[in-house]
Amino acid sequence: MTGSSDKKTRSRAEVEHRARRDRIFLNNPVIMQGLGLAPLIVAATTLKNGIMLAVAVFLLLTPMRVLAAALSKFAYFRFRGLTYALTAAVVYIGVRYIMGLLYPTADLALLGLYLPLLVADPIILKRYERPQRERMHTAARKGLVTSLGYMLILIFLSAIREFLGAGTLLGHWIVKRSWFPMAQLPAGGFIILALVMGVWRAVAVNVKEQMSLGAEER
Amino acid sequence: MQSLGTFFTYALLAVFAQNAVFTRALGVSRLVKLVDDTAVDSLTFGALLCAVQLIAAPLGFYANRLLEQYRYRTYVRPLAMVLCSAAAFFIVLFIIVLCFKMDGARKFIAVLPMATFNTCILGTMIIGSVQSFTLLQTIGFALGSSVGYVLAVQLVTEGQNKLQSEEVPATFRGLPITLLYIGILALAIYGFTGHVVAF
Repeated sequence: MTGSSDKKTRSRAEVEHRARRDRIFLNNPVIMQGLGLAPLIVAATTLKNGIMLAVAVFLLLTPMRVLAAALSKFAYFRFRGLTYALTAAVVYIGVRYIMGLLYPTADLALLGLYLPLLVADPIILKRYERPQRERMHTAARKGLVTSLGYMLILIFLSAIREFLGAGTLLGHWIVKRSWFPMAQLPAGGFIILALVMGVWRAVAVNVKEQMSLGAEER
Repeated sequence: MQSLGTFFTYALLAVFAQNAVFTRALGVSRLVKLVDDTAVDSLTFGALLCAVQLIAAPLGFYANRLLEQYRYRTYVRPLAMVLCSAAAFFIVLFIIVLCFKMDGARKFIAVLPMATFNTCILGTMIIGSVQSFTLLQTIGFALGSSVGYVLAVQLVTEGQNKLQSEEVPATFRGLPITLLYIGILALAIYGFTGHVVAF
């Protein structure tokens, strides 16, 4: 009896450990931790905006995190927020240059202040709050996976909002009229994200239970 | 007298019709953490945010004027604004240490980085720059923005008592129901103003 209970506890702990490392689905930074909400709610109203934001996050997050991990070796803990924010702002110069090559200025203007705002977004800066220093290869790996998790939500949510709000996808008509015009307002962004989160979390809980059962049977 | 009117108009605009959280979702990731986090006092956070915002905003105004002549100003604007926030961070840190001595200042120093480097501070500074506010408008908007943020935190904290009800489905408890609540409040503000703010 005790053996089977130990096995159950061990398998649950193992699943939790695996879930914590999975920043794309089971521990998605947006769904589970509520990071990076501002661009998602206000700027990700069309799939095109979502893709542009996803490219910017991909270019910004990993290099910034690796650089900040290297620099924070020299920073006193209370000044680590400053180190991370300054690093992000410096990396942003290069990111903005590349974005300018990839997209016309008129398209980038659709993102308004949410492109430069990525510099101070918790998805970029949150790591500084942990007292433990991060090793550079860990920063690179976690930065990459976190970027992918965030990009997935950005693209998924912006596609839903464009479809519901305008009845289009990448500007092409899918249905003749908009089903939920509010989807493109910030209020609609909050509400749709909340609904997506609820459903996603329910599915994640279910998947974790299945994984636990699978681990117990092995 | 007219200047005072402009100052308060922009402050009120930022508190209600252009509330940082409900209309632009600025600092909303921090807000949802803050209402759950018992270790951080939201009033301490709010007071520090106001102090940093009020010092950083005029610095940002002058930094933006210096940048105006350069073609690549949009590339370096976030860096300039972060540097202004950093200057405000050190000024507030100095004042705290001076007023409370090192032991009393610890609880403020722990919260200061998160009250300084967030999207509410940076977003307000960028809005002031992009919309070409005057110095007075910039300070009024910065004050209103931080007061509006603190009000939003209090409003959501109050709402949390009801949101923890057993009747809320388990998967919606916590972050999803909080966002749904903020969404409904944002809808009320949209109903009141009738338009989406420029970003």
